[in-house]
Amino acid sequence: MSPKTRIYLQPTPVRIWHWLNALGIITLCVTAVQIRFPEHVHMFANYKTAILLHNAAGLVVTFSFTLWFIYYALVSRNMFKVYVPSKDDLQYGILRQAKFYLLTYFLGWANPHHPTPENKFNPMQKSAYLAIMFLLVPLVSLTGLLLTNVSPMRDLVLLIGGLKILIAIHFLLACSLCAFLFTHVYLATLGKTPMAYIKPMWTGWEEEGAEEHPHKAS
Amino acid sequence: MRILSKIKQIGLLMSLLTLLPFMVAAMENSECMDCHGDADMVGKELTIEPLTFDNTAHAEVGCHACHASITDQHPDDGLAPSKAACNECHDEVNDEYGNSLHAGYADCNDCHNPHQVRGPTAVSGQDMNLKCAICHERTEMLETHGEWLPQADLHISNLPCVTCHSASDEYVISLYIIKRQSGTMFGKFDLATYDELHEFSGGKPIERLVDTNADGYISLAELRMFNLDPAKKQLRLQGMMTPERLSHDFMTLDNRWDCSFCHASGPGAMQVSYLSLAQGDGAFKRIAVEKGAVLDALYGTPDFYMVGSTRSKALNYVGLVILAGGMVMPIGHGTLRFLTRKNRKNEEE
Repeated sequence: MSPKTRIYLQPTPVRIWHWLNALGIITLCVTAVQIRFPEHVHMFANYKTAILLHNAAGLVVTFSFTLWFIYYALVSRNMFKVYVPSKDDLQYGILRQAKFYLLTYFLGWANPHHPTPENKFNPMQKSAYLAIMFLLVPLVSLTGLLLTNVSPMRDLVLLIGGLKILIAIHFLLACSLCAFLFTHVYLATLGKTPMAYIKPMWTGWEEEGAEEHPHKAS
Repeated sequence: MRILSKIKQIGLLMSLLTLLPFMVAAMENSECMDCHGDADMVGKELTIEPLTFDNTAHAEVGCHACHASITDQHPDDGLAPSKAACNECHDEVNDEYGNSLHAGYADCNDCHNPHQVRGPTAVSGQDMNLKCAICHERTEMLETHGEWLPQADLHISNLPCVTCHSASDEYVISLYIIKRQSGTMFGKFDLATYDELHEFSGGKPIERLVDTNADGYISLAELRMFNLDPAKKQLRLQGMMTPERLSHDFMTLDNRWDCSFCHASGPGAMQVSYLSLAQGDGAFKRIAVEKGAVLDALYGTPDFYMVGSTRSKALNYVGLVILAGGMVMPIGHGTLRFLTRKNRKNEEE
């Protein structure tokens, strides 16, 4: 057995962003249930508390998104490389990764993707995160900000089509984000051990081979 | 046959006796209005707008009911006409108001002009608030409400004050047509006047702007049509939660501090709505709207949404399908993962 080597995969700003985001999004999801179904759900002391907590968590997510953007765009300057799928990813990588998740994983084969700091996401992750980080999160945040204080930006709300259209966009995008969260958390347990992918997001370091099943590397 | 004819005659007599006071009142009113309906004759201060007055409950009892001392020689007799006190008829309201905090600060006439006064359903929410704004300056109200009420500006602009500051217990959603006041893209919206609506309706009755089939009832389809009509993009509907009856205690009830009084009542409480349109006499006429129309997902009332109360059931189902989609991977993949766990265990040994 070869000695274990470690790679520094998740820098501190990314980890702070990730866990701020996690805390914020979970708070948003939980408070949202009471806000939408107040006559059925009474998790928080009163409706106002749920609203204020939802607004505060929304601001935390918007802030952590800004932190993420500044880090990747201005500090590490590898946003494009990390988040945008390459030509090879689109032509072969996505299919290769899908084949792993849907078939070869069950046969015990190795994950075809080997993360490095410059290429830490597999092609399916890249495509999903591209849509989430550049479309879903900004749109949910912007619609949420508009809903937090409607009056000053009323004309913008009208331009979008009115309060109900805005609510519908916010609600459906938020449901999509929440649906992704289920998949995200599940896939995070898909390493060699259930904590193999989760630990690096806390410590920054990933043990090489955390994702591999050594016998049948493809 | 003769008996039947007698019954008919008695019936006619009874009807005339019932209507007599109103007929007399109408005759008296028209005599008074010959002068008081004309500003050139009596001056602006003593002018009463005849059309507006005719549609008040006070017109039914007649001018003499309140101004009893007026003689046939008026105004040549030089006597100042007597004025009835409001409590002579409205004693219950008077008692209720007398016990309120407002009693020492405003009289009935400060809020109600007896020659224009109407019931709460014939007045717009915006007009109700104009009365409050005589004393309660908007900036100050924004400041005091903003100390505890999220989006105070939105609440103050879209609710009659009496919705929270009276002990009313039955509410409906009143939809008012508001109009962009300047020709620009971002002009301010104000309550549309009768003349403005008349202009938009192209000579037809203004009800036809929304009630296109003129059946005196507004369906969800007609609401959607109004909201999507590009020719009416300068108009939009403003929804307000308005009380059906008003009390005159004007207090802040404990349950109004709790947002759930309006927001947690659930869609069941938001089923009844009316379109309320300005009429030529200044009153507002209500037309019933299809039950539950304000709960429509998008175009029923595109700019009226009360969080927690007017959610769309259809959108809930779409959201549920999306969330269920997110569970496909954990449940489906997770099950197969569990069933094939031996394949991976063997390889790791």
